[in-house]
Amino acid sequence: MYIIVAGAGIVGFHVASLLAEANHEVTVVESSEEVVESVRRQLDVKTIVGNAATPRILREAEVNRANLIIAVTNNDETNMLICFLAKELGAVMTAARVRNPDYSGYFITAARSPSAARKVIRPKTLGINLIINPEVELADAIMGMLSSLYPTPGENFADGRVQIREFRVDQGALADKSLADISFPQPGVVAAISRSGKTFVPAPDEVIQKGDHVYLVAHRESMDEFREMFAPPQHPVRNVVVFGAGRVGFLVAEGLEKHGLTIKVIDENTTRCQEIAARLERATVLQGDATDPDFLIEQGIPSADAFIATTESDELNILCSLLAKNLGVSRTIITANKPGYVSLAEAIGVDVAVSSLLQVASRVTHFVLHGGAISAPFIGGKDVQAIEFVTSATANIAQRSIAEVGLPKGVIAGAIARDDTVTIPPNDSVIHPGDHVIIISSLSATPAVERLFK
Amino acid sequence: MRIKVVCHYLGLLIVILGCFMLVPLVRSLVAGDSASAAFAIATAITVGLGLLAWRLTPVGEGRLNRREAILLVAGGWILASLFGTIPFALAGTFPNYVDALFESVSGFTTTGATVLTSIETQPQSILLWRSITQWLGGMGIITLFVALFPILGIGAAHLVEAEMPGPEAGRLTPRIRDTAKAVWSLYAGFSALELVALLIAGLPFFDALTVTLSTMPTGGFTGTNESIAAFASPAVEGIVIFFMVIAGVNFGLFYFLFWKRQPGQLLKNTELRVYLSLLLIAAVLIAIDLMINLDMAAGEAFRQSSFQSVSIMTTTGFATANFDVWPMFSRSALLVLMLIGASAGSTGGALKVIRLVVLIKYTYNQILRAFNPRAVIPLRLGKAILPDPSISRIVGMVVLYFLTIFGAFLIMSAVGTNVPGWDQLTSLSSVVSCVGNVGPGLSIVGPAANYEFIPPVGKGALMACMLVGRLELFTMLMLFTPSFWKWR
Repeated sequence: MYIIVAGAGIVGFHVASLLAEANHEVTVVESSEEVVESVRRQLDVKTIVGNAATPRILREAEVNRANLIIAVTNNDETNMLICFLAKELGAVMTAARVRNPDYSGYFITAARSPSAARKVIRPKTLGINLIINPEVELADAIMGMLSSLYPTPGENFADGRVQIREFRVDQGALADKSLADISFPQPGVVAAISRSGKTFVPAPDEVIQKGDHVYLVAHRESMDEFREMFAPPQHPVRNVVVFGAGRVGFLVAEGLEKHGLTIKVIDENTTRCQEIAARLERATVLQGDATDPDFLIEQGIPSADAFIATTESDELNILCSLLAKNLGVSRTIITANKPGYVSLAEAIGVDVAVSSLLQVASRVTHFVLHGGAISAPFIGGKDVQAIEFVTSATANIAQRSIAEVGLPKGVIAGAIARDDTVTIPPNDSVIHPGDHVIIISSLSATPAVERLFK
Repeated sequence: MRIKVVCHYLGLLIVILGCFMLVPLVRSLVAGDSASAAFAIATAITVGLGLLAWRLTPVGEGRLNRREAILLVAGGWILASLFGTIPFALAGTFPNYVDALFESVSGFTTTGATVLTSIETQPQSILLWRSITQWLGGMGIITLFVALFPILGIGAAHLVEAEMPGPEAGRLTPRIRDTAKAVWSLYAGFSALELVALLIAGLPFFDALTVTLSTMPTGGFTGTNESIAAFASPAVEGIVIFFMVIAGVNFGLFYFLFWKRQPGQLLKNTELRVYLSLLLIAAVLIAIDLMINLDMAAGEAFRQSSFQSVSIMTTTGFATANFDVWPMFSRSALLVLMLIGASAGSTGGALKVIRLVVLIKYTYNQILRAFNPRAVIPLRLGKAILPDPSISRIVGMVVLYFLTIFGAFLIMSAVGTNVPGWDQLTSLSSVVSCVGNVGPGLSIVGPAANYEFIPPVGKGALMACMLVGRLELFTMLMLFTPSFWKWR
């Protein structure tokens, strides 16, 4: 595929890097010459210096033959304009990063008279096929972790019938057993194992070690039983501290408030505090320095159930959450802009680090994939993907069983969902057209999997 | 730096080189000449050692970094030159190994300076191998390697950048491998066209092939003692002139013409315009000089001057006349053309027209600034503005180019002190010619002579000049900076 990435910030760079490594043709357009120079040095992509929101530069980037243009400059309006122009000039698909939530829904123009039809403007009218809002997705992920009893966010497939969840193997019951020897109370498959920073698709005789993160595919309703196997029951979260009142912090605070939790928001910027204090109904907004232990103790932070650090600075997030942990908060979650910090932060004691970048990358790669994939989130890092295919009648795998076609190395079938039934392989059931098939695949084997469903 | 990983790819590179030795081997077997055994053994050694190096070293995790890429390019050229010597050494073409190496380096760098005193008495397979080394070196063995193997990722971009001549030359497509494929297929396509044209013009197949394999890379080896003059055919000269001009044009422009259907890129290109104008001006001025001072007829004068100008400026080095006996002005004009060279992104060598253009514009801007220091004057190339770092690189490169010439000039003058007939012009023109990958110089290294009489030290210095010149100085010279080898 030919893909244009407009804007080479952290997200743009990372997405371009992923796509180029997956052997797509990529052109990066960026207005800063220095940034372009560093892209040119590090990635096998074509680079163009200029403003991507101008037809001249878009033509130079051969937008007319682009299968996809991804607009990820740091300005919402520019991104939307880029997509609009690119669509007009012949790009097939467009994706824009739009952070302001006011833009991502529908715009309804005011009716001039009671009888006149109101005009609805959708993102699609503007030529935008996919709106990526990293902050909203990040906030959703964080809220998903806190509003349920699970330690980490789950991925939903087949309209929520199938879930993938991450569990940490701490107790001895499962440790040092090979996968073949473990019998689960309900049908379930260990889709991936994350060990010392690396995620891989396990072989059937893989031995689980203490400290592993295990990713489990199962029917949503049977997930609770698995949770009890892996993790001791936790008391539900009631009091939450959000540090950083930026977009993500605000969205998380607002969302959790709606769930009836008690929220304290801390930010250093007085103006910002006043702003969000006006927008949040019940939450306590505190102006202060979260790196000051005295301040935290004075505000009763140590008795909180969870501490979420969402400032722009990764280092600050890590530091504050370690401080909170030290003061006695049991769960700490941070957002990290730099993907490299995710495993590092978790290694030094932060419970969960979520990266907006990996969220965006997963959205984009899903978009790029062919072969009927409707969603393809990354599982733990960026080495393994869970891909949900809707089997078409002409797919290579249709009317055959998984055992019959034989999956490539590094690939596991997670679940097959048909109507209301969910079957978990291994089994010999034949895949029918229309079935949702969830495949877990290492990134390198993804093209081979795509071919099966083409 | 992971030297073993670099060796892995070098091994593969050597295997490709070995495969190309099969061509003269087949030729030798068909003709039944004396070099069959030499080529068979040379192929076996080259492919064998290449495979060995390839198998015994790890692929290495992750991509090649810039340093490794540079080491791979520089090492690749040195190794190719060394292995290219094997057939000459085994066939006993040259009395000593230095001569054999000189011929091989001169071949791969597309210089075309020969140490063969009698070319026509050599087996045709040996002559074919000389031409093949030029053809491989022309568009670049490393670029060919990148085009053939999809294994290097971003490392490949560093490789192509380090090998392609000219500033900012290189990427035409999002994936660097597609660029390598595009330029190599253009190159092969033009070569095929020239071969057919020469055959139609009545050249025997073998001559047509060796001339083609030396024209497109702007090399200069021929299978005859008298170069192109031996064919005495205006049609052949016309065809060769045309393809030399083509070979001296930035191949990126042809890419935009044929792949992207954007002839505007070709027509509006500053470098191309200057390149063609310089060729025309040089040809006309030299023709006038020949008419006045040698009493040549206008047609003959223009025929000779145009061939020689094109051959020298594109750094090919073919000759249809002994221009060393021409009047002073013509000889000086040719020496200047030798320094300027062809376009960036072409197969030609020397400084490149674009650098000359940038340098002149830069100097002009400095003059303007001298009487109006507050004026902000950007350096324009066509519609684009050249950023300051690029200008600095070009200025640095040009300074280095002349420093190299000065140094080598002094060395050659010291070497040639006691050689009869050796004057300063010999020292200077041999160095200018070798750094620019041209071939013939002036005086006793002129087009009618060869480099055989030069003492081994001088040959060594010239070989270094050729390699350094082909990779545009920085790539080779970086290997000699201590911090290149140290940890960061």
